[in-house]
Amino acid sequence: MMKNYDVIIIGAGNGGLAAAATCAKAGLSTLLLERHNIPGGSASSFVRGRFEFEPSLHELCGVSASEKRGDVEDLFFRFGGDVDWFTHDSTFRLVVPAKEGDKDAFVNENGVMVTVDARMPVGFEAFARKLDELVPGSYESCIKAFEYSAKLFKAFDALDNPKKLVGSIKDFPDIMRMVSHTMKEALDALGMPKKAQDIFNTYWCYMGSPASKFDFLYYLTVLHCYVENGTGVPKLRSHEMSLALDKVIRDAGGEIWYNSEVTKVIMKEGKPAGVVINGDKEVYGKYFICNSSPNRVWSDLFELKDVPEKQLKMLDTRKIACALTTVYLGMNKTKEELGITDYSVFIAPDSDSDKQYDAAQGYFSGYCIINCLNEIIPDCTPEGTSQLFLTTMTFGDVMKDIEPKDYKKFKNKVARDMIETCEKALNISIMPYIEEIEVALPPTFARYLNTPQGTPYGYMLEKWDSMIPRTVQYLNDQPFDNFFFCGASQERGDGYGCAYYTGEKAGGLVVKALNKEGK
Amino acid sequence: MADIKSLKAKKFLSMLSDRQKRFESGKAVLPEISDQATVIAKALHPKRQYLRIAEIIDRAEDCKSYVLVPDEEKGTKALAWFGAGKYLTVFENIEGMPITRAYSISSSPKDSLEGKYVLTIKLVEGGLMSQFIFDTWAVGKSVEVSAPSGNFEYQELRDAKKVICLAGGSGITPFVSMANAIADGDEDFEMTLIYGSRNADSILFKDELEELAARCDKIKVVHVLSDEDAKAGEGFEKGFITSELIKKYAPENEKYSIFLCGPQQMYAFVDKELEKLGLEKKYIRHEMFGEFHNPGSQADYPEGVPEKVKIRVTIQDNTYEIEGSSNDSVMQILEKNGISAPARCRSGECGFCHSHLISGKVYVPKALEYRRLADYKFGCIHPCCSFPLTDLEINVPASK
Repeated sequence: MMKNYDVIIIGAGNGGLAAAATCAKAGLSTLLLERHNIPGGSASSFVRGRFEFEPSLHELCGVSASEKRGDVEDLFFRFGGDVDWFTHDSTFRLVVPAKEGDKDAFVNENGVMVTVDARMPVGFEAFARKLDELVPGSYESCIKAFEYSAKLFKAFDALDNPKKLVGSIKDFPDIMRMVSHTMKEALDALGMPKKAQDIFNTYWCYMGSPASKFDFLYYLTVLHCYVENGTGVPKLRSHEMSLALDKVIRDAGGEIWYNSEVTKVIMKEGKPAGVVINGDKEVYGKYFICNSSPNRVWSDLFELKDVPEKQLKMLDTRKIACALTTVYLGMNKTKEELGITDYSVFIAPDSDSDKQYDAAQGYFSGYCIINCLNEIIPDCTPEGTSQLFLTTMTFGDVMKDIEPKDYKKFKNKVARDMIETCEKALNISIMPYIEEIEVALPPTFARYLNTPQGTPYGYMLEKWDSMIPRTVQYLNDQPFDNFFFCGASQERGDGYGCAYYTGEKAGGLVVKALNKEGK
Repeated sequence: MADIKSLKAKKFLSMLSDRQKRFESGKAVLPEISDQATVIAKALHPKRQYLRIAEIIDRAEDCKSYVLVPDEEKGTKALAWFGAGKYLTVFENIEGMPITRAYSISSSPKDSLEGKYVLTIKLVEGGLMSQFIFDTWAVGKSVEVSAPSGNFEYQELRDAKKVICLAGGSGITPFVSMANAIADGDEDFEMTLIYGSRNADSILFKDELEELAARCDKIKVVHVLSDEDAKAGEGFEKGFITSELIKKYAPENEKYSIFLCGPQQMYAFVDKELEKLGLEKKYIRHEMFGEFHNPGSQADYPEGVPEKVKIRVTIQDNTYEIEGSSNDSVMQILEKNGISAPARCRSGECGFCHSHLISGKVYVPKALEYRRLADYKFGCIHPCCSFPLTDLEINVPASK
């Protein structure tokens, strides 16, 4: 008799790992299936020469530099996942190099002509004061925005604790306003000067939707986390987090099969009953949690006749989110020798997020985030060296004119552009000191994540399809009563913390459903 | 004072129904998405390539080139393009024993577009796979290989414009591909190939290299013969690849990169010579080490290791109890017991065989240590370069 698992989880990305950990710890017979040989999806690492690179993580705002435990930290704490955190108590630096004829250009500390150079601190008061220093007259609107974000967190808190709900009901109209208006609408209403808005909105790229499209509530929530407590990263790259969860799952009796790709979902009586692995091995289960891209699931794992009509319509109406291009650099100089002074610098050709978004419809717009992990973990590379991580984002099929045979050359062209952009914007020299380099373009992400256009972000979080409506309608949007999605395609979009959240939630739903069935 | 209270809270009320209406307005068909990213990913990284042997070329007494073309009947319509320097892992089954080997592609990347790869294989004394290939690979036979893999490639953003390539024996193969790629315009660097062979008769690709050097002024070839007096004329040296010899051919006042591919004994010798040159690490690139043998000969190998070990191995829902020699890698023990393991590079480098060591101890030679930091913390190993020191319990991914 074939084993019938309580729950089969498709994909060991962050969502799948959290789902499997939740189910296994609740005592369910749990099988986690992963097409790759290691867990984590984006949350991984790779070795080149004497460097081990972080493939995707910038920082976790769910890990706190203060006493208060952030939500990602808390999840690992609750699961008993063993991760050493390194924390960081600053937010971002935004540098906008000046173009010819810019009237407000000035020479910054690096000796570069810029129109914006904003190094923003942790702490609401400090952040607002700094913003006001850069753009006089922005203090009040900034503080006001943070007052609203504080109300939000009070309300989120109240959702789990009905006793507090009464006190927060009076804030509900404001919350409704924040959900239903964009960043731009809300900051305009708050009277924040445009240039201050641009600085305030710097993290938009982490959610992949610019100020005119993205809801104010979600943006404010994310910024609040960064500014309140700073951020953190795992000591041993994201591979540490993924292996920690792998261990949690195994220790709780769950099974994880690697190199085990689900190639088909077996239907019985109109709903999923099992899966085929690597084309030939069948496994059966009562419940399914899927950490894979819905586009891929419906086209590759199901027969069209079995796909609920609504799911197809959802694919048709949603926009594939942004893709990333990243350049990983092992440097044979220290960060001091290179002249790097910040963990995270956002270099933008224009401070306006919508203009950045428009420019990102091509393969490289001049927008580049440069990170130096040694700023947070000084000895993350051997003595005398450092590692850099450059990121840009793109929207749509920016690879459309590239043939496989031209891909290698194209990769280097993009990488060169990105490196030179950073060199110019920071007035530093990178190129001569590259000891190891790896370049990941959308095809790299498509290969490892198996998502359309290689997006790690799921579907674009536009105002009409934003986090709160997705959350409220989550169950309504699921295809079968025993099949739940988790990961970047779901409520919160991309981000490690978001994926963990959706996985834990989906796992919780399965646990609850099986308890109800009297297991 | 400005406030968000000026915004309409009521807008929220229709959001949920608007969203569902928007979904309703969609078409109930699988959307066609322009997605060249996925096209490229699949073209360059097929899970398997099914090939047929179209031609066999004798290179030397103990060396043959196999010309491989797509086996369309088995589903491979076109070959994956590759950057010169990459290898293919060959999958074979020798009397019930699944086995793999990684061989550098010796043909030009351009040839792959015309449906041709060439693997050049030297018969290794006592070598299981090379002997099997020499015995059984004939024109028309089907073979199964991986996607092109590996990191031994020229990288213009990292390497110097001038590259001294040091080859030993059949380690010439990736350099033949690189030289072709330079001549074809797919790579752009100046190559000085210093190629060590025992004698003039054992030089592989001699004519082809000469022809490439004549055709392209970015390619220069120097033969170093260990067992035969250098012939008169340019391009021949007697002895071994020493630091003095490298200096003789290296640019004087310019940075240069060293690329190195050959047998393990050559690495041991040349690595010491390279130290004398005092080059920055970034300018020295090694091809993979190759399968490691005789761990007991290593200075840091512990004493008192039992000759025979038992391994309990779980792959998916199958658990096997097997026995093997502590002189074999965990991967070899699995294969010798008829268990298919996820093997690719067999040098510790690619990480494809990443497995969980549940209990027991293994020895990993330093030259093959490419594990990730968290692997040490959570007890993960690469079976292809892990030698059992005790009985083991391991959890291994499916071979796929």
